Amino acid sequence: MKRWQMIKLGLILAMYTIVGCVGLAVVYNSTSKIIAQRQEADLQAGLHEVFPKATGFTPTDKVKSANPKVIFDAVYTANGPSGALGIAVKVQGASYGGLTTLIVGVSTDGTITGVKVLENKDTPGLGANAANPTYYVDKATRTTFAGQFAGKKLTDPFVVKKDVIAVTSATITSRSITNLVQIVGKAASDALGIGGSSQGPQAVLPSADTVRTSSKPATSSVPGVSILETLVGTKAGAIVGASAKAKATSYDGDVTVLVGVSTDGTILGVQILECTDSLGSSILVPEFAQQFVGKKVDAALKIGSGITAVTGATRSSNGATQLVKATADALVKALAGGGL
Amino acid sequence: MKRLFGVFVNGLIVENPLFVIMIGLCSAMAVTTTVANGIGMGVALTFVLVMSELIISLFRNLIPESIRMPIFLIVIAAFTTIMDLEMKAYFPALSKSMGVFIPLVVVNCIVMGRVEAFSSKQPVGDAVADGLGMGIGYTWVLLALAVVRELLGNGTLLGFQIMPSSFEPMIFFILPPGGFLVFALWMAASNDLRRKLLAGRKPAPTQDSCCTLPDNSSAEKA
Repeated sequence: MKRWQMIKLGLILAMYTIVGCVGLAVVYNSTSKIIAQRQEADLQAGLHEVFPKATGFTPTDKVKSANPKVIFDAVYTANGPSGALGIAVKVQGASYGGLTTLIVGVSTDGTITGVKVLENKDTPGLGANAANPTYYVDKATRTTFAGQFAGKKLTDPFVVKKDVIAVTSATITSRSITNLVQIVGKAASDALGIGGSSQGPQAVLPSADTVRTSSKPATSSVPGVSILETLVGTKAGAIVGASAKAKATSYDGDVTVLVGVSTDGTILGVQILECTDSLGSSILVPEFAQQFVGKKVDAALKIGSGITAVTGATRSSNGATQLVKATADALVKALAGGGL
Repeated sequence: MKRLFGVFVNGLIVENPLFVIMIGLCSAMAVTTTVANGIGMGVALTFVLVMSELIISLFRNLIPESIRMPIFLIVIAAFTTIMDLEMKAYFPALSKSMGVFIPLVVVNCIVMGRVEAFSSKQPVGDAVADGLGMGIGYTWVLLALAVVRELLGNGTLLGFQIMPSSFEPMIFFILPPGGFLVFALWMAASNDLRRKLLAGRKPAPTQDSCCTLPDNSSAEKA
């Protein structure tokens, strides 16, 4: 009897579920077209907002996200009357209350043309103000949070509360959006070929006049650190230093750095190339890498002694610092070993 | 008719879901940072509540006792999703600013509580009256909270600048502590009114066992 009772209850439940599903299917069918149209219209409006002068947008796949947590939903080339104006990216990444979706426009002259927040699930009245067209971070000039990025140079540090005004009481939202804008800016500028000359091995070996690939790659004894590329800097034929690109796991992603070391064991230059930690891309600011320059490799290179962490990204800063130290150690060892 | 009106009025003050039964507080606190969100959430919840109470009351004799909870959830979830889709299609701006709170209507204690305690045992007319009363009771509280919080915390009402430009917005009211403070003040006022309304009236026989607090002594039980 009990079994029959159970089957009967199951059938009753199934009946309710089926009726519910049919009802939902009907409503979904009648609304899905309108919702899709609205989203498409939003996207088009957003694209035109970041590139007001564009005559059309062509989808492209030139720009790829290097960070698995940042998704480039759609990438468009903005076409002007005379050639491409730049790249617009619809990007999705984590913020305080869930995923946030932005459209970021990057111009061929290396500036952000505009940012539009399409979707934001952060706290209504606080973080959601980042998407509010009547919430001004600068009341005098009536600049919205997203609006302040228009015209911003890609070489700017993109640090909230420094060169980016935060939404009041929503620092995490402000930081997430700023990071996303910066990531898109970097990816788009690489695709547009306007990366700038400050990148690359030459920059971390300023005393060298030529940089060549080492004939004997440096290796690190620190577990988890992989040295991707070793280069030697020479001046008038004599070795003045070496640089290496190295990668290691950090907080919840990877960090990649470029380190240049002179023959006397001084760090000549450091660049944090990439950090895929959540919110970790704030350590890409040049000020963080700059702290290492001039330091002796055998000094205690640690957060708290000589190196200051980037606020809000202590663990990523820590990971990057350890990696810089390990890479520099490996380079000193390689330089001492000779045969480069 | 008079009885139905009584059921309806009950939800406004005497058995207000937020101030007296004190359920569904989390969404109330979270969305009342702006008046527009408060109205949107209130209307959304009222719709789901009335429809769910109506359907469940209609089928109350066809719902076996032992699987009533999953059936309630199916009904509530279906109406919430319908509401969510309709809002996305016809009120996209509102739907965006309400974010995750619309899907969360499914687990809003008010809907579950009223369905379980009231409409699963009462005739259709009463259930709809109860849904409307509770829904409007919820909505007016959201509105009362949101007006104070938006005006003092942002200087605006429904997005229009009300306060003079020299007024420095008090962010405190937008933040959760401010929400609790405003909530408590409104609750004190509302419950004072409730006490006056109930004074001299004999405690009505309880219609349901879980959510009615006819006088203050039974509050301790709850």
